[in-house]
Amino acid sequence: MTKGWTAKRIVERCVGVAVLVFVAIGPAALTDYWVSSILTQTFLLGIAAASLIFLSAYGGMISLAQTAIFGIAAFALANFVTTDATGGQNLGWNPWLAVAGAIVIATAIALVFGALASRSLGIYFLMITLALGVIGFYFFLQVDKLSGRAGIPTIREHAPSIVGDASAPPARLYYVALVLALVVYVVIRYIVRTPFGIALQGIRDEPVRMASLGYNVPVHRMLAFGLAGFFASLGGVLYAWWNDLVDPAAIDLNAIVSLLVIAVIGGLGRIEGAWLGALAFILINNYVRDVEVPVLGGSFPTVIGFIFLAIVLVSPDGLMGLWDRVWSMGGRRGEPPQASVDVPLSATGASST
Amino acid sequence: MSRLLPRIVAFAAIAFSLIWVLFAARNTNFGPAIDDPKNFFITLLNGLTFAGLLFIVASGFALIFGLMRVINMAQGVFFLLGGYIAYDMQQYLADAGGFTPISTDINAWEWLIPALVATLAIGVFGLAIQQLLLRWNQGQDLRQALITIALSVILADQIIEHFHGGLGRSVTWPGSIEKFVDLHVFGIQYSLARLTVLALGLMVGVLLWLWLYRTRTGMVIRAGVDDRQMTSALGINIQRTFAIAFFVGSALAGFGGAVGATQAGAATGADGQWLLNSLVVVIIGGLGSLLGAAVGSLLYGLVFTFAAVYLPSGYTNYAIVFTFALLALVLAFRPQGLIGRPG
Amino acid sequence: MKVGKWKFLLPLGLLVAGSAVATSGALATSAQSNEVKIAILSECKGAFGGAFEEQIAGVQAAFSQYAGAKPKNKKKPSAGITGGSMGGKAIKIVGYGCGDETPALALKETRRLMEQLGGEIMIGPLSGDEGVAVANYAKAHPKQTFLNGTSGGQQTTLKVRAKNFFRYNGDGAQWNAGTGEIAYKRLGWRNAAIIMDDYSFGYTSGAGFIAEFCAWGGKISKRVFVPSPNTDYSSYVQQLPAPDKIDGYFWVVGGSGTGPSLKAYQQAFGAIDPKKFIGNLFFAFYGADKELGPQLVGAYMGGFGTGPGLQTPAAKAYRKLATRWYPDFNPDDGFYYNWWNPAWALTTAMKTINGDLSAGHQKLWAAMPRTLNAGFGKIVLDKNRQAIQDQYPIRYVKKNGAITFEVIGLIPQVDQTFGGQFSETTPSPSRAAPACKKAKLPWMNKIIPVKNGVPQR
Repeated sequence: MTKGWTAKRIVERCVGVAVLVFVAIGPAALTDYWVSSILTQTFLLGIAAASLIFLSAYGGMISLAQTAIFGIAAFALANFVTTDATGGQNLGWNPWLAVAGAIVIATAIALVFGALASRSLGIYFLMITLALGVIGFYFFLQVDKLSGRAGIPTIREHAPSIVGDASAPPARLYYVALVLALVVYVVIRYIVRTPFGIALQGIRDEPVRMASLGYNVPVHRMLAFGLAGFFASLGGVLYAWWNDLVDPAAIDLNAIVSLLVIAVIGGLGRIEGAWLGALAFILINNYVRDVEVPVLGGSFPTVIGFIFLAIVLVSPDGLMGLWDRVWSMGGRRGEPPQASVDVPLSATGASST
Repeated sequence: MSRLLPRIVAFAAIAFSLIWVLFAARNTNFGPAIDDPKNFFITLLNGLTFAGLLFIVASGFALIFGLMRVINMAQGVFFLLGGYIAYDMQQYLADAGGFTPISTDINAWEWLIPALVATLAIGVFGLAIQQLLLRWNQGQDLRQALITIALSVILADQIIEHFHGGLGRSVTWPGSIEKFVDLHVFGIQYSLARLTVLALGLMVGVLLWLWLYRTRTGMVIRAGVDDRQMTSALGINIQRTFAIAFFVGSALAGFGGAVGATQAGAATGADGQWLLNSLVVVIIGGLGSLLGAAVGSLLYGLVFTFAAVYLPSGYTNYAIVFTFALLALVLAFRPQGLIGRPG
Repeated sequence: MKVGKWKFLLPLGLLVAGSAVATSGALATSAQSNEVKIAILSECKGAFGGAFEEQIAGVQAAFSQYAGAKPKNKKKPSAGITGGSMGGKAIKIVGYGCGDETPALALKETRRLMEQLGGEIMIGPLSGDEGVAVANYAKAHPKQTFLNGTSGGQQTTLKVRAKNFFRYNGDGAQWNAGTGEIAYKRLGWRNAAIIMDDYSFGYTSGAGFIAEFCAWGGKISKRVFVPSPNTDYSSYVQQLPAPDKIDGYFWVVGGSGTGPSLKAYQQAFGAIDPKKFIGNLFFAFYGADKELGPQLVGAYMGGFGTGPGLQTPAAKAYRKLATRWYPDFNPDDGFYYNWWNPAWALTTAMKTINGDLSAGHQKLWAAMPRTLNAGFGKIVLDKNRQAIQDQYPIRYVKKNGAITFEVIGLIPQVDQTFGGQFSETTPSPSRAAPACKKAKLPWMNKIIPVKNGVPQR
């Protein structure tokens, strides 16, 4: 692994620092709407997208079940913590206990999903996780004891004091989400250097060889899936607080595809893409609201669909992939990408590893 | 041991379900089959007819997936679009002025032609998409999946834009079909329309079988499913075969949509549901085989229908759990699908 | 190295420029205080997406009538209004929200309207589940005011009880007042089955029938729940008792399911006998369907809190006022009437307080009229700011060869609690609630017949 201080890495570090400074002082300079609706949402959706990108970049598995795990954590928290909401079980647990419970349940189910899907590869894996994700949606849609069809509100009222309730300044949840996002990012970067992470990348590249070396490939994958599920559950908990309502439509097929769109726009090969993609998606969603697509008609879904299509056709590694490619153009090799997705995905068809 | 465990579990699951439905179903809507055989048979027929429609749509999905490894995420929107096209066509032919026509006003042609038009239109549309967007990146499975996903997002929105706002529209059966037939079993009067759906499913199955096993193109397709690279290395024009397969696969979705629109109406939301339906059938049944699609449709159709009816009342909304259980069982013990081959 | 430097500077420059552009939109701006910012949350997708313009028309027509505004385009309400002022404050409509009946999107739109666009007062939403979400949002945001559109879930006011949420229309249960009595007394039902959408509006709507029918002594022998959305109604319809085993069915399947479910019934049991069917308001949306319309002639159904075709002086006056501004829209329709009323109430309240919202909205809430002499009867707000309203059951009839529906009865002042049957502590309508029990309702035996739109008092 060549880990020298190339120009590209320097630039990325500088940009990273600039971004960090910017978001750290964000609440002081920006409107409440930006802080709460745009940036906080970016952090939490980015965490969910990171769970997807972690699996795709380092495990070679594109999972569409992350949204369902996210939803399970959010619904679990909502059911545990509310006391007189118009839906859900209203168990009234202690806020921190509820958070722990939600994360544990979601991660456990992620392990089950992982066990079911781990023996399948590539596109088949995608299909299975998609089916699981959609089943997760229909489950909550139909079992309204757990989802209160109109959703479960008043979750924020029972959030831990560090997050505060709905009347607290939005900066509170903002910083909690920011810190969690940073933690997830750092943890992922750390894990991929551990033996587990390296073995995972080995399994991504050469599953047969790894199996013959004695690694239990399905179990390894399942554990990675569980870990990704853990990250997704963090996003789900944040979402429950942020939205103050969890309803089944939040994890429907649209939401499943949206998370994929976020990951693809950001870049399936690099973790930073998660938050970049989330921000891009949220901004487009926000400002394209009233736009009527010329000739075809339609609105945001058509726009984002076309953007998604364009990215898949032109730069399947997303915005981060564009960035990587800019650096490796002109004969100057910046650095091999830290991970590459399923090789056939890249536009040129040629691997740059 | 590892061979035995799946068999034990599967046997136990089947045995338990049978015992429950046949003998022990307390507190359910109808009670066990020995007490109420009439409703058992009606449910059985409902399950079979649903399986018929499932087969029509899922076989197209399986064909495309099996041969080209393309998850056609747009299969659901093709279904919905087919339904709306059939509706519009029937409106035009029957001069119905925006109202859903009465069966007695509809003759057989006023159903057949809309269904055929829908089938062909979606087939051509699917083919165009394949030629424009999928042909040149053959082999890049994931990328193609993402392309079809992007398309499904765009098309779903476009349908809302151009086809009645995605609101519910219903195609009408001809008067000769919209009636009851006496089955002479337990005094059951069953809807001929539903039997027609089953018949159409069977017909599609037979036609597909004849095509795949008795024509040269079909043979190439089966070879391609078996071993893509070898087939193309043999000098066969694999691109033409792909085009034909995608056309047929999409056309089947369109036909299924026309039938579905007649049976249950076309509306936004159906696209997501039928995508899931296709996925479940193919995952259960296995890749790229007609038999797999048939087995998957049958199993899923029956489980889905029976779960909705034979769960204790008050718990019928947990029926989706059975879909999940079915999927989980198959994935746990035979991840390649019941008829699929490993790897 | 030249190339290298640009590779360093260019992306950095872009980043800086991009942030500058983005933040310029993000930096706080000062608010103008001589305007009152109003948001309208309507629906433009889903089964009721067609009502988008109609609802905006209802609100803006009331603003035009009572606050001096003028429609910019009489055919397209979403083009906006000019002028208009309430209590000295100029009306500024900050935006039109676009929902799709799901709470998730309703909340997103509410945030956009109230947080991004700075709305102070919101009128909406349309649909039951959305209303619950908005009411909860309202409770958590006491600095703003929320007036319901047509959403009809019971919990929205009975359970949430947000001080800043006002509903000038009845809920789904109230809309079905009268149907239970009609079933028991007029049609002679003693044993009924009910099939309903498996979600909050389905339960609320069904609750209206169950509470009344059972109060009279009727029994519900079967409740069937249809998951929504659904493609195959046969297995659910099949669970209903056959027509020879039951006196009647109460049909609470709506949206795009009304037609297919009735069709599935036909396929399972044969022709529909209108004397054995009572629907909720969704049957009235069915007028466009010739296939089943003819079979439903003679069937009764619950209303929408409106009196379509009513010929009272108040109704006629209301129609005259309403059609002045947007003549293409039908003022008798609930999607117009139920949006006109809260907007009208708002103008009255703002006038009373001279538009003074400077110290918060408490004065506004106190000034919101507790009684409205509306077109289709008096509306009185109860202690939860929920409307007590006259209700009008409807019947499908054949008139001049065409199939239409008309009001056949008037039940004065139906309240949300159904005379104490529903309260903050009773379980919300659900699969099992309300239970079927005999009771006394305030409006038993008080249905006033309506002939040709005239109540026969």
